[in-house]
Amino acid sequence: MTREERFEAVAREVIEPVRRFLARRSDPDTADDVLSETLLVLWRRLDDVPEHAVPWAYGVARGCLQNAQRSRRRQDRVTAKLAAQPVDPPRGDPDPRLAEAMDRLPDRDRELLRLWAWEQLTPAEIAAVLDTTSNAISIRLHRAKGKLVEQLRKSEPAAGHGGAEGRHR
Amino acid sequence: MNHHDDEELRRRLSALDPASRLTPAAPERVAGLLECAMLDQASSGRTTDARPDATGRRRPLAWVAAAAAVVVIAGASFAGLRGDDDAQAPTAGPSAGQEPGPPAAEEPAADPGSMTALVAAADANAKCMVPNVQVLRANSLAFDGTVTAIEGDQVTLEPTAWFKGTPTETVTVTAPSKMLQELLVAVDFQVGERYLVTAFQDTVTLCGFTAAYDEALAQLYRDAYAG
Repeated sequence: MTREERFEAVAREVIEPVRRFLARRSDPDTADDVLSETLLVLWRRLDDVPEHAVPWAYGVARGCLQNAQRSRRRQDRVTAKLAAQPVDPPRGDPDPRLAEAMDRLPDRDRELLRLWAWEQLTPAEIAAVLDTTSNAISIRLHRAKGKLVEQLRKSEPAAGHGGAEGRHR
Repeated sequence: MNHHDDEELRRRLSALDPASRLTPAAPERVAGLLECAMLDQASSGRTTDARPDATGRRRPLAWVAAAAAVVVIAGASFAGLRGDDDAQAPTAGPSAGQEPGPPAAEEPAADPGSMTALVAAADANAKCMVPNVQVLRANSLAFDGTVTAIEGDQVTLEPTAWFKGTPTETVTVTAPSKMLQELLVAVDFQVGERYLVTAFQDTVTLCGFTAAYDEALAQLYRDAYAG
């Protein structure tokens, strides 16, 4: 298999997951730019791409996105970008209480929960994205879920503060 | 939290997924992305720099941007070309006698006085690939033209046929002087000679794509841009 053929195989495997990853975390223009950037990194570092390429590619996309966001911030454009980007209501039940509960979590926990629920990754795969150990992720993810449930409990309509009613509607 | 709660939480979170309505990218878009990535020869700043609002001008070529009308800085390669791609790169100078007719049967006329400004950039980490129709097709501009002047840091060409892109009366290729020397060596630009030139966005594609006129390469251009 030539280098080009291998790249094409890997790229076709990761493009859709990475597009989704970026759509969840940035505005469409930035997502587009960062997707191209991610593929360039993939092309240049093809020899480093592991067998299970998707989590690795998420890690690259995450780094590229952080760079792009840093650049934007430096240019003081982020406010305008965010303001111009309407919050996209998800399909069906938007579950505003859950969204608010997520918003109240620290970034770090929120990202773990997204990787778990949206990207549907296992702790080992999340560890590959964040470049840490699977054990550390298992512990942090467990805590993040606990915090989220706690936040949901606090916001139960009839539950008052820390009420014991069911956490699902 | 038990497994059921876990799964229920995951299900509820999934319902918030902003990408749930994202449709898959069109196949042409995917092909374009792949080709663009493979076209990149080295510069870590290509896509960033290619944006009009780019902030990451890491290359020390910013002054070129100020000098030309439409300039985007990105990577291309001479090093790989000169180093190990002799067989792929038609570096032999063209002879006036071998010129067949213009490769494009019909071409829209360029506006009088119109000009396309291109740049060249280099990177020591460059790697070349064998010129092929797919990669050639990914370029945003391609033409057949003759060098009319080499002055300072600029090569001026007069296109005789356009394969792709908006025709203009002249095309300039700008490069810092040291790079221009490499460019001259890589492509063997000489006044009065005929060349096939491609560019991705505003950067000349080297690596055997832009080269002295050669019937085999011209056929590749025709195949790539036909229809």
